[in-house]
Amino acid sequence: MFRMRWRMVEHNAIWLLLGSGALAAAMFVPAFRDPENLANVMRQAAVLGVLAIGQTFVITAGMIDLSIGQIAGLVVVLSSAMINGDTAMTLPVVVLMLCVGAGIGLVNGILLNTLRLHPLILTLGMMSVIQGAIFTYTDRSIGRTSELLTTLANGSFLGIPLSAIAVALLVGAGHLALTRTRFGYHLVAAGGSPESARRAGISLSRIRLAVFVISGVTAALAGLLLAGRLGTGYPLAGNGLELDAIVAVVLGGTALSGGRGSVIRSIGGVLLLACISNLLNLLEVSAYLQMFIKGLIVILAILINQPRKGEA
Amino acid sequence: MPLIEVSNLSKRYSGVAALRDVTFSAESGEIHAIIGANGAGKSTLMNLLSGVTQPSGGTISLDGKAVRFSSPQAAQAAGIATVYQEFSLVPQLSVARNIFLGREPRSRFGLLDRARLAADTRDLLERYSIALDPAQEVGSLSVAEQQMVEIARALTYASRVLILDEPTAVLSLTEQENLFSIMRRLRDSGLLILFVSHRLEEVRRISDRMTVFRDGRNMDTRPTPGMTIADVVQLMIGRTQSVPPAPHLVPPDAERYTIDYATGQGVQRIDIRRGEILGIAGLVGAGRTTFARALAGNPVPGASVVAQVNGAALALGTPQEAIRSGIVYLTEDRKRDGIFAGLDLVANTTASALSDLAWRGIRNRRTERVRSRAMLERLQLVAASLDLPIGKLSGGNQQKVVLARALLTRPQLLICDEPTRGVDVGAKAEIYDLLCGIAAEGAAILVISSETEELLALSHRILTMHNRRFVAEMPVDQANENDILLAASGGTPAKEFS
Repeated sequence: MFRMRWRMVEHNAIWLLLGSGALAAAMFVPAFRDPENLANVMRQAAVLGVLAIGQTFVITAGMIDLSIGQIAGLVVVLSSAMINGDTAMTLPVVVLMLCVGAGIGLVNGILLNTLRLHPLILTLGMMSVIQGAIFTYTDRSIGRTSELLTTLANGSFLGIPLSAIAVALLVGAGHLALTRTRFGYHLVAAGGSPESARRAGISLSRIRLAVFVISGVTAALAGLLLAGRLGTGYPLAGNGLELDAIVAVVLGGTALSGGRGSVIRSIGGVLLLACISNLLNLLEVSAYLQMFIKGLIVILAILINQPRKGEA
Repeated sequence: MPLIEVSNLSKRYSGVAALRDVTFSAESGEIHAIIGANGAGKSTLMNLLSGVTQPSGGTISLDGKAVRFSSPQAAQAAGIATVYQEFSLVPQLSVARNIFLGREPRSRFGLLDRARLAADTRDLLERYSIALDPAQEVGSLSVAEQQMVEIARALTYASRVLILDEPTAVLSLTEQENLFSIMRRLRDSGLLILFVSHRLEEVRRISDRMTVFRDGRNMDTRPTPGMTIADVVQLMIGRTQSVPPAPHLVPPDAERYTIDYATGQGVQRIDIRRGEILGIAGLVGAGRTTFARALAGNPVPGASVVAQVNGAALALGTPQEAIRSGIVYLTEDRKRDGIFAGLDLVANTTASALSDLAWRGIRNRRTERVRSRAMLERLQLVAASLDLPIGKLSGGNQQKVVLARALLTRPQLLICDEPTRGVDVGAKAEIYDLLCGIAAEGAAILVISSETEELLALSHRILTMHNRRFVAEMPVDQANENDILLAASGGTPAKEFS
């Protein structure tokens, strides 16, 4: 009985943390509870939220994808350069960018299946390759994004940021895919025990491929949102986003060892990170100290995520 | 017509014959035991029948028609299902999801039909009277329950043949009985059950016929009634089983270890003298390993040990301290915490004695080699080379290497947890000899074993544990299998433990 309850607490730890943290912030920092500020937190969280959805799939399947930050960065630069303020170009470029993301994910997946590298090493290499490509293309901000993307990234509907609505829809789709489809079941099984999944007739290489394509597409989507926020193709836009996404996913209780994960809880992790970062800004904490604090949070997240003693 | 007919079946792995010209048949509605020592070809045969590997020659026929299984899925489609020794479950998923893994029912819109998944699972479990909650996470089940999940899953495919590979290795007595009654019911419903086992006593109780393998050939198929264990052993190893050596006498004035074992249920004191072999009997889960590990410096909350020799307390806080105090534990699960699978035999033997063999932290490879060779020779280990990774050795040889590692630390109290698990009949006799020799040289030896005959043959004295307590103590000449099993199951002990 106690075990059951403890499991409930564990599963929902992120909501407790987020709820109590936000409540305390609202009580002691008046600027935080300003509706406009809260909407801003959501807008800031949107990019990371989309990335975290993809990363949840990857980590639940027992892998990791470090290339997503740079994929987003590449999409920021490419889309801004190609649209260059011309709204009519938006749709074709968006489609193209999603294909770019899917393509890079596909390459990741194929390399993983053929070379049998550890995903950490492979995607670390891919991250550097894309970064190199971005800087070869441009070392300064380039182009201008379209009105449409800016509205999506910064606009509101009935006071709710459009980007938050978009993320909510994606979360719903992701959650359904992970918990209610055969693919989702197989992904969880493959992450929990690849050998057992293989013996049950599940194709591990197909799951790896699908997972990295999903990850690439969500990274491209995040890049489009980010371009909308920045307004221009800033080559450093994607730096570090992959780590933030991993931290958010881990905060959400997804096991780094695979086999256990929830898209919805990952979003909890994203919101927590966004609130903390917003709070530190409101309190005018220096950027360097913010880095320091963020590092501590990463360590804390891993600690929370560790399986407890006595639990198999 | 026999259900399965195998003729002239052979299998070679990179030139080495694992199976040679095997010909035998099995009928539907029988429990057919497949027995043989390690390396006799049982597993190879199972792998061929279940489509894991393909034969190098010969044919398999099902219902008189020649079949060729290119994958496990193909064999399953033909109605042959296998439950392997090591489980293939996903611990994070529920019972229901594990049973139907890879074949989940889908509703319209392509979503999973969770209601049907639950209903199908309940039907299946009810049909075979398996008491499991479909929604429970498999990782939280006991090993026996996990095996039931594994069997339930196999039953969803097994319309003709169910292959069970060493199914009782992890089960307690009542769980075994439960499994056997399910097996009998399945047999009576017309299934052929191929039952691979090391445990001859069980084979005799449950099987209708048996086929004995030796060196990749099938020696004979015989009806089980009328066969004695001695007959079977003769077929398996080609000679009668060597009788374990009679225990030598323990000098009455030998040094005495006093061990106080504290659990939530109080403190119990046991003792053991140098030169004595003390057996610990009990069912799986009785807490024998927990006690042994606590004694060797691995206490868990709620189980701790204070040990004295001649009134002086021993330091047992960590495995390192325990080894320095002369207490070494040989694990029951070599793969998990016994061997360094990728390292060679030298490194595996010297691992615990490096502080003696190294000079200020720098290893001396030559000394290590000499010492480990000497020790392994003493243990009569036959291996092609000391440079082999230990993972490539047979179970019996691995056990010898782990034993050699323990002996290099010159232990005074050696704890052997299931020392002959996964070890074939020939190597078993050698390990018995070795343990007796070590005891005769003055070490105290604690042997934990689930094979009561082994304890009866090896020990001077036998303690029985039940429910984390020592419940009975018997000198070996007053002990018998019945009393031990009774005490282990919580019945009235033959002699009250003081």
